[in-house]
Amino acid sequence: MPDNSAGNNAMRNTVMKNFIGARAMPDLVYHSPKEMSDLMSLFDTHGTSARVVAGCTDFIPSIRTGRWCFDHEPNLIDITKMPVLNQIEKTDDVLKIGAGVSLTRILESPEVKVHCPVLAQAVEQMASLQVRNTATMGGNICMASPAADTVPPLLVSDAWVIIHDAQGEHRVLLTDFFTGPGRSVLTQGQVLTHICIPVKKSNEAAWFQKIGTRTAVIISVVSAAVQVSVTNGICETARIALGSVAPTSVRVAGAETFLEGKPLDEQVIKECARLAAQAISPISDLRSSKEYRKDVAQTLVKRSILACREVLK
Amino acid sequence: MKMPLTFVLNNQQTTLEIDARQTLLEVLRNQGGMTSVHRSCEEGECGACTVLLNEEPVNACLVLAASVQGASVMTSEGLVKNGKPHPLMKAFTDELGIQCGFCTPGMLMNAYALINRAGDNQLTDQIIRKTLEGNLCRCTGYVNIIKSVHTAQKAKLAGEWW
Repeated sequence: MPDNSAGNNAMRNTVMKNFIGARAMPDLVYHSPKEMSDLMSLFDTHGTSARVVAGCTDFIPSIRTGRWCFDHEPNLIDITKMPVLNQIEKTDDVLKIGAGVSLTRILESPEVKVHCPVLAQAVEQMASLQVRNTATMGGNICMASPAADTVPPLLVSDAWVIIHDAQGEHRVLLTDFFTGPGRSVLTQGQVLTHICIPVKKSNEAAWFQKIGTRTAVIISVVSAAVQVSVTNGICETARIALGSVAPTSVRVAGAETFLEGKPLDEQVIKECARLAAQAISPISDLRSSKEYRKDVAQTLVKRSILACREVLK
Repeated sequence: MKMPLTFVLNNQQTTLEIDARQTLLEVLRNQGGMTSVHRSCEEGECGACTVLLNEEPVNACLVLAASVQGASVMTSEGLVKNGKPHPLMKAFTDELGIQCGFCTPGMLMNAYALINRAGDNQLTDQIIRKTLEGNLCRCTGYVNIIKSVHTAQKAKLAGEWW
């Protein structure tokens, strides 16, 4: 998990097109701080050569494929050995997940299952057991891939992240966190420490669906998450997020406001899904064409709202 | 950067001289001599390098060796006891869960962890398929592998297990 992708001189974003095969890892120095103060002093000592990592399940392939390379020896700071970042806590109305918690622990956590089931639903469909045992949600967010599967569920849950630097802690809404593919607001000397999620209320339901070329170990072609709150059969609030259809995961505000104040009947849901697909302009790439993505986004939004309605029955 | 790495490898306290940039896969094969850990995709797609890290299956190609300091690592060499194959290995050969054998060490480690986790609960085809989804096999079509896991669990419930 790198702490930033933009503005770091130590890293050149050299993309080697048509390169197949494994590159050597660069020479590096490995640090595993235990306390936040150790981590901050590592930032001080190593300046721009400091790189924060967690599970490394995306970091290693990024180097192997040549997506990333370093001008000089990076100082890797592994945050998974920090007890303070390895906890799932529930305080009042917020579920707080440390950036070093593995995806398997999120999936198996009873708190997550009760208070943010949509996140568990997404994590279950991610990668493989072996990768989930190593990878972290903090890493998934910081890599800022538009296809990150934990992001749409977090966006519809109104999650925020806590960023720690020399000045102390900052709170950043996840909607403001991403600035582009592989880019976020994190800068040198900052580390994402926690992900905070407001707990689900009893009249709320959320659903996540993704489509890929197979069901396991696959990057999403399109992913969708929906959260609705319903009172007396009328949708009060709606949040819809889509992954892999834009430079970052996106919320589709037009479709959300359309749904609010209306009953969740077939006609309304169909129109809402149409509006969601209309609002996005995905690209064609090796995983899928833009036409297919628009089509599938519409279907996934429709299915997710229907599933939410089913949950609330 | 050269550094010493002390960890438990197949129940034996081991210290190896490693380079900080090496992955666990490279260290296990090159310095550790554990050649059952197969090097294939090196990006977490195939599962051929699956080992148990603190009893949980991980892809050795995606773990920095430096990060396993003090941990316990098990490879399929560790399943063999006094030169005798493990009941799980026997189940794979009996049920023809092996053809070319390249994916087998990874399959074994993932299946071993699964059967241990399951305890007395009967595993279903669905659970086995979901658990082994990160291990690619291009020969068997998975059917015999799933049979092998069922047979191995029966062996465990019958008390032949270590």
